Amino acid sequence: MTVAVRTPIVEMRGITVAFGGVHAVRDVSIDLYAGEVIGLVGGNGAGKSTLMRVLSGAHPADSGEIRIDGKPVSIRNPRDAKAINIETIYQTLALADNLDAPGNMFLGREKTTRLGSLDDSAMESETRKIMGRLNPNFTRFSMPVRSLSGGQRQAVAIARAVYFNARILIMDEPTAALGPAETAQVRNLVRQLKDEGIGIFLISHDIHDVFDLSDRVSVMYHGQIVDTVIKNDVTPDEILGMIILGRKPDELTEKDKAEIELRG
Amino acid sequence: MSIRKSVAFLGIAAVMFAACNGSAATTAPSTGASASAGGAGCVVGVSWNNFQQPRWAAHDEPNLKKTVQAGGGSYISADANLVAEQQLTDIDTLISKGAKVLVVLAQDGKAILPALKKAADAGIPVIAYDRLIEDPSVLYLTFDNVLVGKAEADAIIKKVPKGNYVLITGDPGDANASTFLPAGWDQAGLAAKVASGDIVLLNGPKGTATDAWKTEKAQSNMEAIIDKAVADGKKIDAILAENDSTALGVVGALTSKSYGYPPLSGQDGDPANLNNVAQGKQYVDVFKNANELGKAAGAAALALCAGTKMADLKLPDGLLDPTVAPTAGLSAQDFKTPGGTTVKSFILQPTPLTADTLQTAIDAGQISKADLCKGVDAAKAPPACK
Amino acid sequence: MTNVADVAPVPTQKQRRTRTSIRSLITQTEIDLRLFGMLVALGLILLTFQILSGGKFFQPTNMFTMAVQATGVAIIATGMVLVIVSRNIDLSVGSLVGIIAMTYALLMTDWMPHILGMGPDFPFRWVIALGIGVLLGAAIGALQGFIIAYVGVPSFIVTLGGLLSIRGAVWYLSSGAAVSGLDPNFQLIGGGAQGSIGGTLTWIAGVIGCIAVVGLLVMGRRQRRRFGFPLRPMWAEVLLSVVGSGAILGLAAFANANYWPEGLAARYAAENNVAVPPGGLLISTGFPHPIMLLIGVTLVMSFIATRRRFGRYVYAFGGNPDAASLAGINTRWIVLKTYVLMGILCALAAAIAAARLNGATLDVGQSYELYVIAAAVVGGTSFSGGIGTIPGAVVGAFVMQSLAYGLSFMGVNSPGQNVVAGVVLILAVGFDTFNRRRGS
Repeated sequence: MTVAVRTPIVEMRGITVAFGGVHAVRDVSIDLYAGEVIGLVGGNGAGKSTLMRVLSGAHPADSGEIRIDGKPVSIRNPRDAKAINIETIYQTLALADNLDAPGNMFLGREKTTRLGSLDDSAMESETRKIMGRLNPNFTRFSMPVRSLSGGQRQAVAIARAVYFNARILIMDEPTAALGPAETAQVRNLVRQLKDEGIGIFLISHDIHDVFDLSDRVSVMYHGQIVDTVIKNDVTPDEILGMIILGRKPDELTEKDKAEIELRG
Repeated sequence: MSIRKSVAFLGIAAVMFAACNGSAATTAPSTGASASAGGAGCVVGVSWNNFQQPRWAAHDEPNLKKTVQAGGGSYISADANLVAEQQLTDIDTLISKGAKVLVVLAQDGKAILPALKKAADAGIPVIAYDRLIEDPSVLYLTFDNVLVGKAEADAIIKKVPKGNYVLITGDPGDANASTFLPAGWDQAGLAAKVASGDIVLLNGPKGTATDAWKTEKAQSNMEAIIDKAVADGKKIDAILAENDSTALGVVGALTSKSYGYPPLSGQDGDPANLNNVAQGKQYVDVFKNANELGKAAGAAALALCAGTKMADLKLPDGLLDPTVAPTAGLSAQDFKTPGGTTVKSFILQPTPLTADTLQTAIDAGQISKADLCKGVDAAKAPPACK
Repeated sequence: MTNVADVAPVPTQKQRRTRTSIRSLITQTEIDLRLFGMLVALGLILLTFQILSGGKFFQPTNMFTMAVQATGVAIIATGMVLVIVSRNIDLSVGSLVGIIAMTYALLMTDWMPHILGMGPDFPFRWVIALGIGVLLGAAIGALQGFIIAYVGVPSFIVTLGGLLSIRGAVWYLSSGAAVSGLDPNFQLIGGGAQGSIGGTLTWIAGVIGCIAVVGLLVMGRRQRRRFGFPLRPMWAEVLLSVVGSGAILGLAAFANANYWPEGLAARYAAENNVAVPPGGLLISTGFPHPIMLLIGVTLVMSFIATRRRFGRYVYAFGGNPDAASLAGINTRWIVLKTYVLMGILCALAAAIAAARLNGATLDVGQSYELYVIAAAVVGGTSFSGGIGTIPGAVVGAFVMQSLAYGLSFMGVNSPGQNVVAGVVLILAVGFDTFNRRRGS
């Protein structure tokens, strides 16, 4: 790989987030390159989601710096993030259940007519196009998304992130609520987007997902990054060890290994 | 707790203040000739329930105060701001300030009873002003609500002896609306005329009630009544509305329906309604001349101060306007309360105002001539607007 | 946008046609079923009173009295929909109506002639008064909205405080007395024979309405064809045009069958030397001004709710507040704006109330909040947020007022009216909840 000579698309430096007195994220630095998938793993409360919320503008960092293409940027809210083509697929999907698919797709970025009115036809047309690509069976364009299946709702959330020319994509547990067929579909999509040169942060509980899709894996433990490793250099067991114990493989004692064995 | 302490402290302060004040009052030269016997040095304590209501400040208090001071007494007062508990404290304070007689406009006729007991222990007579207090020891001063109803119906029936009537009553939960005023209407002959067929009631024997005496509600009810009458091919000849806020709604309905203005009653002497009387949109507005009630209370207080027993009380001749003076004469009369006790009382008469007698409202300070005559067509102007 | 029924994609249309239940036919016309159901309920209520009154109830005069009585509540209910949709409440509307009505009355009787130097002959006094009222409403709404959205005090508390304190302020404004005697032009806002647009304008308005209905259908169809979306069957388009235009023209004819009261017509004839034909002079009143105002408000509010970003964000926020803010919507600003809108609508309702009374009393607008919330809820607005339509709330207001007026017409007293109104409120929402549960 020619990683060394390229500028990362995202550089997060010394990010710290505290809730009250508790440090959810402590002095974390992480890079992401175009066309790369980083698997972000860790136990519950390790700080992966909080770190990504900083990047997507949902929660401001208390300190630290974010650079995009090497230039420092200030991300104070989701609008700022979207303006620099950072898109997020939240675990909750963040859909307004009472709106239909086009309404959700374009939420906050509606297409309007010359007089500033919503151009529902244009939005529906665009939605039909992108859904035709992502989920050709999707036909319920004017139903509230409340009445859609889990997979269809996921498709709407993904379509929203993909439609607006994302350069950086954050996917928080994208396959958690899906059946096997739909999971496979999402995996294909991730590969396709990666090939298009999009940088992707993938948060997942599923070690297999992570190993299948990522180029590098960052393990978080108690708000800090234990290590960022190239996937091909490690085994799933070693990753599991870092998640559980918060220590790099070469720092493990015999006793630790026994414990992993036990839990694994 | 701290509130109570500070109240107690205020009470002590008030006593000290009253002591200084009292000595000042005794040394001060008595002003004016005493109209009633033994008024000098009499401290009249008045407890208002809510002095923000303009009527008390504009009419009742000045006349009460003037009468007391003209008789050589002094006037002190407190305002309970619509809080019954506050009124209990107020009365304590008035007693400790040296009040020899109390005039109480009760916020709550029952909650006030502990204060009455204190007054009785201190040997201080109490005048229940305008509102009844259910206790045999009080002297009750008020207007006759039955007579208000009678005055309304008298005026309307005299004007329209036969025809189709509409009855607009007030809040169904208010005894004035459901009992006293209709009783007055019947005393004026409404029931008899309905029985004889001279008067036909278009909207049921009990009329149409108005939630909370709301003007808007009276208006929408009246609009429906007009529509029904028109649909039935009947003409409305007269309307008995119990008070001014409902009468105002009736006028609104008559205007929006362009129905014309059949004779309409009301009571309270509200400026907007008096203006409607001047414009010919309301026929009669029965009004309680609060100035006279204030005078009567002042005179009664002075007499009580001088040691006159309630049963022997007599208001001075010439104090009150003869049209307002109690029909039973100037001596205190027994009054049987709804609760079954008997109290001594002075029950004053209300004053019906029609276009011809509107000058009375100006004289009583109820309304200015400019407000009364606003928008009045010069050709049809009543005498008071000429 | 969410209340339009789904359309089957074109290829399956043929298979569907074999099933010709009324429901599926209605579905194909894309009519809002809930609204349709409410109109049927309203019709049934009117029919019941027509039977009970021996055929005297359903007449133009009566229907327009009832409609005008409903306008104030209906106008505010259009805004209450947006407030409830965004998971808030506004209890202060009655007091707001009270203070603005009192402001109108004092402006025209006292402040304008005595302070601002605008005598009775000053041009457009009523417009200036209305403008000041709207500004006052917007300002109070903005203040309440700011406290709710930016300070974070729950709307129930803020507007409950508003309910109390603003009503108290009315008392201080007027020193406790009713104020009467408005500008004659302002009085025309309230309706009545002379406060109506007249026969000719009513027909013109009707024709414009028909053109608009047909135009919207044609444009909609063209738009759908341009983007290649499934189209409504042609018969449905024609049916909608005919029914829509017929309803509008029927309403105009109905309004024009309402004539000036005899006395007024006779006076007019005498003043203008018009010969009175046998049977009396018949002058059509046409649509009363407050009804025209309500129609305008309903159209504008529907447009805002469904065709503007603001409306879309209100619904999105109500459906999922987190999703709305993650989508980059400034949700606080949206909430604040709903209260500003509410203040403006209260100013319009206050104008109608004050004009109808030719003044203001201390209790104008009292308990409006209850009627307005009832209208919105009967009209299908859900307290769980995100659901509710503006035309629904207007029909809801008419349903509630038709009961009050009808019972009043039949001589049933206030306590009886309140019992019926309460029961109907619970029945309507209960039925709706039952339907929704069955539907999902």
